[in-house]
Amino acid sequence: MKRRNLLQRILCFSVIVVFMSIPAWGADTIKIGVLGPMAFTQGEGHWNGATLAADEINAQGGVTVNGAKRQIELIKVDTNEFLSVPDATNAVELAISRFNADFLTGGFRTEAVTVMQDIAMDNKKIFLGCGAAHPELCERVATDYNRYKYWFRVTPINSKFLVKVDFILLGTVAKIMATQLNIPKIKVAIVAEQAAWNEPIVSVAQKKLPEMGMEVVGVWRPSPVATDVGAELSAVQRAGAHIIFTSFSSSVGIPFAKQLGELKIPAAPVGINVEAQKQSFYDATGGKGDYTLTINTYARVKITDATIPFFDSYLKRFGEAPNYTAGTYEALHILKEAIERANSLDSDKVVMELEKTDRPGTAGRLVFTKDHDVTWGPGYVTGLGTQWQDGKNQCVWPMGWEGVTYEGVVPYKLPPWIVEHYKK
Amino acid sequence: MGSPVFYLRRLRTLIQTEVLVLPSRITVLVFSLGLLLLPLFTRDPYVLRILILTSIFAILAASWDLLSGFTGQINFGHALFFGVGSYSTALLNIHAHLPPWAGIPLGALGAVLAGLVIGIPCLRLRGTYLALTTLAFPIILLGVVFAIPGITGGELGISGLSRLSGSRVGDYYITVILMLGLGGVMWKITDSKTGIIFHAIREDELAVRASGLNTVRYKLLAFCLSSFFAGIAGGLYAHLMRTAGPSTLEVGTSFQVIIWAVFGGMVSIYGPIAGVFILFPLLEFLRILPKIRMLVFAFIVLLTLLYMPEGLIPWIRDKIEKECPRCKVRNAATRKTCRVCAASLEKA
Repeated sequence: MKRRNLLQRILCFSVIVVFMSIPAWGADTIKIGVLGPMAFTQGEGHWNGATLAADEINAQGGVTVNGAKRQIELIKVDTNEFLSVPDATNAVELAISRFNADFLTGGFRTEAVTVMQDIAMDNKKIFLGCGAAHPELCERVATDYNRYKYWFRVTPINSKFLVKVDFILLGTVAKIMATQLNIPKIKVAIVAEQAAWNEPIVSVAQKKLPEMGMEVVGVWRPSPVATDVGAELSAVQRAGAHIIFTSFSSSVGIPFAKQLGELKIPAAPVGINVEAQKQSFYDATGGKGDYTLTINTYARVKITDATIPFFDSYLKRFGEAPNYTAGTYEALHILKEAIERANSLDSDKVVMELEKTDRPGTAGRLVFTKDHDVTWGPGYVTGLGTQWQDGKNQCVWPMGWEGVTYEGVVPYKLPPWIVEHYKK
Repeated sequence: MGSPVFYLRRLRTLIQTEVLVLPSRITVLVFSLGLLLLPLFTRDPYVLRILILTSIFAILAASWDLLSGFTGQINFGHALFFGVGSYSTALLNIHAHLPPWAGIPLGALGAVLAGLVIGIPCLRLRGTYLALTTLAFPIILLGVVFAIPGITGGELGISGLSRLSGSRVGDYYITVILMLGLGGVMWKITDSKTGIIFHAIREDELAVRASGLNTVRYKLLAFCLSSFFAGIAGGLYAHLMRTAGPSTLEVGTSFQVIIWAVFGGMVSIYGPIAGVFILFPLLEFLRILPKIRMLVFAFIVLLTLLYMPEGLIPWIRDKIEKECPRCKVRNAATRKTCRVCAASLEKA
């Protein structure tokens, strides 16, 4: 008899311990699958942005649905999409069917995101894209709304507008050079890494620059992983270029900036240099990366009231400025708001609320177009131009463009050796 | 035309005398039945998706073995056939609105054309030179894909293709049955007289030529057959993914095929199939170790090849079966005498 009592007590105690050791027992969470190439900086950005947002939302009690607060639970899903598209699709399937993700965010490589998008749509899962810029992803919403309405692009601005900003930055620097250095006709060298995404940019640049009153002195296409671009830079110098229109998404952006600073070639770098968006860029170039101007999404300027707090929190927590895939931060916040307005997790109801999004986001006022793309333009999300000045990545554009200037934007600086060279 | 009872009896005899006598054949039978019966036990979309992709890649790996394993024409650019099959099927589906059952075989014929295009110049090359030349072709085609985005869709690829079937279970049965069927066809080809000539070309091409056989014709035949099966795999992949993109032509795809085939065991057809069925799900399983996933995968492959240089399946087969020293027929390792000639297997 005594033995049975002891057994009963042990059993009761065990049950109590089990219940107490699981704090969220019985509490429903909202599961969000964060999809990205987690071994790469892009995936890291996806995860960091989502983590920051989830922690903020959870610290405030979570997401209110039907009067109950529900915590956000993130599921880290490595898509490995740079190396394997099938791996990416398996990852999405895993997130949906095994981890029971309620919502999805992330994605980077367009070819993989296309398939990932289809799997999400088959399952009627809302997918907030943060990384792939191809317009086709949103054009699908326009052509087949009922199927693709669960897709929204939160960041970046689509590639058409990225190219537009690219040319605006080029035009801005050309104007500054022409005015300050009294150069009648600006000569431009196009230096774009050898990659498929650069093909349309190079061909459009060759056509558009003469229309903008500039002269193209040549096109150079180094390898995306080149560690020495001395030959290209010497050729650019011999061609007499005033501006180097760059298009780099890979590591070549570092040796390019480093050698340009070392050789003090009298040509200002303007365009896309993804490496220059990172906080580590200055050190990686041995301090020679100053004056590099690149398109960017985030900088420590007051685009809206949300930008600087986000920038500082991200930098403090991860020791790195947010790159554009960290837009998952924004995605989670707009999702929270839409769920609360819909008062439901039902995809169709949340889609209707997401479409009404009008939020002063971290990269600008976020309003979706009718095909669920991020609205680009003055008063909305514009993109930024950031330049390395004395070891700091400063925002230099927009400054008076279409009436837009953000608090904290500083004037563009021409490299001193260029000023010296042309004022002789 | 015999009665069904006659054929059933014949099948039973065949299974009793040809299949149940060897552990490797019993394994193949159990494996095939297991695959065919699996949807009765689970319809988990994730599991089915993994097995669908595994079946497609198994066809691809076996097709590489048919060319490179059997004739010794080491092809480092097998992704070319996969990519051409994939893009051709996609274009036929999008522009000519051909359904998958018509588009996939036609797409595979496109891959055969590619096999002819690269086969003819490559026939004059051997060894390293052939390997490097074949490596170049998918890279060249990738350049073409990016040069004409209006047709190929550029980096996005061609999307919006019809579904392979209406359901995941339908997709599963189409790919699994095709994998088993085409695997069987490839195995029969290599077991035929043509297969013996392929073998001979690998061993000593000069001797084959000296025996009066046109080796050029046979090597070209191997290129065409291999590209056809790889093209089928490409078409299935395109319809499953509903897109045909540049990743199908990437160097990584070609190398992956070689890893699967070498791991499973070359010159067997079933070895590469088994290699894919082990390695592809293994990579998925290793998601439980996200940070060291690829490292563990590479370690497993390297260790296997270090201790089993002929590949995993031939190593296992040699452990469970013995070859008769007199008539060369394979027997279960437990037998003391040969099942055909009754010779002693004690010292085999």
